[in-house]
Amino acid sequence: MGERIRYRKLYVLPTRGRSHQFSLPLKESIRIGKRDYPIQLKNDERFGTYVLWKNRKYPVEVVRSGQNSYEILFNDITYNFTVETPFSYRRRRTLTKAIQSPLSGEIKAPMPGKITEVLVKEGDTISSGDTIAVLEAMKMENEIISAISGTIARLYVKQGSTVMKDDPIAAVVSD
Amino acid sequence: MVEKYHLFSQTNFYLWFSAVTAPDMPVSAGGILNLRSGRQYMEIEGKSFRAFRERESRLKERDGKKEREKQHKRGKLTATERIDLLFDSGTFEEIDAFVTPCNSEADFGKVDKVYGDGVIAGHGKIGNRLMFCYAQDFNVMGGSLGAVHAGKIAKTQEMALKMGAPVIGLIDSGGARIQEGIASLSGYGRIFHNNISSSGIIPQISVIMGPAAGGAVYSPALTDFVFMTSHTSYMFVTGPNVVREVLNEEVSFADLGGAEVHAQKSGVAHMIYDDEENTILALKKFLSYLPLNNIEDPPALPSPGPGSRGADNRLREIVPDDPNKGYDVKEVIRHIVDSDSFFETSALFAPNIVTGFSRLNGRTIGIVANQPKVLAGVLDIDSSDKGARFIRFCDAFNIPILTLEDVPGFLPGIDQEHMGIIRHGAKMLYAYSEATVPKVTVILRKAYGGAYIVMNSKSLGGDFNYAWPTAEIAVMGPDGAVAILYRRELESAEDPAALKNELVQRYRERVANPFIADEKGYIDEVIDPAVTRQKVISAFDALRNKCVKAPERKHGNIPL
Repeated sequence: MGERIRYRKLYVLPTRGRSHQFSLPLKESIRIGKRDYPIQLKNDERFGTYVLWKNRKYPVEVVRSGQNSYEILFNDITYNFTVETPFSYRRRRTLTKAIQSPLSGEIKAPMPGKITEVLVKEGDTISSGDTIAVLEAMKMENEIISAISGTIARLYVKQGSTVMKDDPIAAVVSD
Repeated sequence: MVEKYHLFSQTNFYLWFSAVTAPDMPVSAGGILNLRSGRQYMEIEGKSFRAFRERESRLKERDGKKEREKQHKRGKLTATERIDLLFDSGTFEEIDAFVTPCNSEADFGKVDKVYGDGVIAGHGKIGNRLMFCYAQDFNVMGGSLGAVHAGKIAKTQEMALKMGAPVIGLIDSGGARIQEGIASLSGYGRIFHNNISSSGIIPQISVIMGPAAGGAVYSPALTDFVFMTSHTSYMFVTGPNVVREVLNEEVSFADLGGAEVHAQKSGVAHMIYDDEENTILALKKFLSYLPLNNIEDPPALPSPGPGSRGADNRLREIVPDDPNKGYDVKEVIRHIVDSDSFFETSALFAPNIVTGFSRLNGRTIGIVANQPKVLAGVLDIDSSDKGARFIRFCDAFNIPILTLEDVPGFLPGIDQEHMGIIRHGAKMLYAYSEATVPKVTVILRKAYGGAYIVMNSKSLGGDFNYAWPTAEIAVMGPDGAVAILYRRELESAEDPAALKNELVQRYRERVANPFIADEKGYIDEVIDPAVTRQKVISAFDALRNKCVKAPERKHGNIPL
């Protein structure tokens, strides 16, 4: 068998914005501009995970962690990103066409019920993960979440409308 | 895998021999002779040895630069690279490396003469535990399955069954080898038969890393868990070309049988990841939860001790006061189990039920939880199927089951009834009731009607059934119940809304609460949510030696 694949660097790919590169092994400092700042990432039972800088603790909460995807809460801001190896980073670029998220489409009702609240109007800009309406079904309020980012081109429902499963709720066009 | 044979002068042979067998010996990718400075390797003159070494070097050709580039360009890794990532360094031993494709008269000309016939099979250690594996090589005749290729896979499966070790299939194959005809079909048959005879005895896992088409899809379907890589793997019974010819429907590979489709819609794939490295890393983590076979207990990590975490007040806050509001049950799971230990299975398929493995005090448990955030956490056809299959896997491999219940009922509607929610919901009942592993339930909030019975109720054989004070246990929800019981009174009332509110309030107090169930013994204890972790740990501790003997039968008849 060939040699075990080892990496000297990793990439951090946020869902929006520029990617960052880290060299391995990870150092306990970060470089901003041309200066290195000594920052430590700690984890203990009492305080959970936190960043230690100048003897002050800044708590970090790992909201969700998948195999290589993370959602981190730091200073009340949520960051979504994936960690990529050089190989997977290159591969991602080769396959960018396939990776593109759906451009536009319709958001459909997941189950029959009644729309109790519509949170957007036509022409609004939304990003994936936003709640666009509340559907009451099984005596529960279910949030209808958009999987697409873009502009609401058309709303098919209003407050009080009854929908069947797979009825369209809104049409979204990506910009 | 036998890596290489360094041949030395007699005088220092023994010294070198020990170096060669050292486990962390760096391995050369290029050839057999590893000429390093200061070390003299002597050629042994002899025909048989030369022939032997020449053959060995032929084997390296299958993972040459050209082969790697071909696969990398497709966004994939070669079979050898995959095995390398999967197994502990230097532990993989290949079997049948030198078999050649079946060379019958009817081979139709287009069979390449290659060693191994397009599949690498063998065994090695993953996390220092024995596992068997076969990896199809797309570079050899498109990874197509001929008689010899199939024979190697079948042999691996048979060995694994005898040894009581899991089988992992890394699948990257164009399907049956057309030029070999019936021989390759019969090969599939043998593989399926082995899949079925090993089912429930050793864990079987398929990892789809390329195409799997036609009959080839049924071997993964028969195995316990299917991993897929996004963008590079496909599974379908008939491909887009056939669909176009037969039905005149245009569909792309990804839309017909891509990883996303199988993870979200069909439920065929249990786990999907962006690339092969992450798929394999996740697979290794996944394997760490499982026992090697149905006789063993799952591996246990050193326990942090039940008292290592005190009362967790967050658990008192997660369930909202308003019974119509949803919340994320995965947060409840995270606060109960050992930190960072939850591994979700089928996360994208039927997300109204959450299934997955986790550790409680270092020991593996399976978790089944209703997800109030999605479709109100109802049981429907897909979620029943998903839950039932997971429960049966846990039961087969001695993994205790923790059920977190917040279920408003079965999903009503024409769609569900006509598609057979009765048949599918029954699977869940069957699976829970049949399972003899330790079963603990915590009712978080709603537990209504048939769905209450299904979710591991005491009467179905739940060993310990707890409820949070927020639990509502009854035949139906307050609104529905009041509307039926007091239909006439409500119709003739002056202010129906006010009367209804009053009745609903009374119903909650008198009927839909956990204390009545507790007093009547249908649940074991109403517990403070903050100490749920401690309660379930002690429950599973008490159940460690649970033993249930059922009268002998060939097998039950689960409604399929």
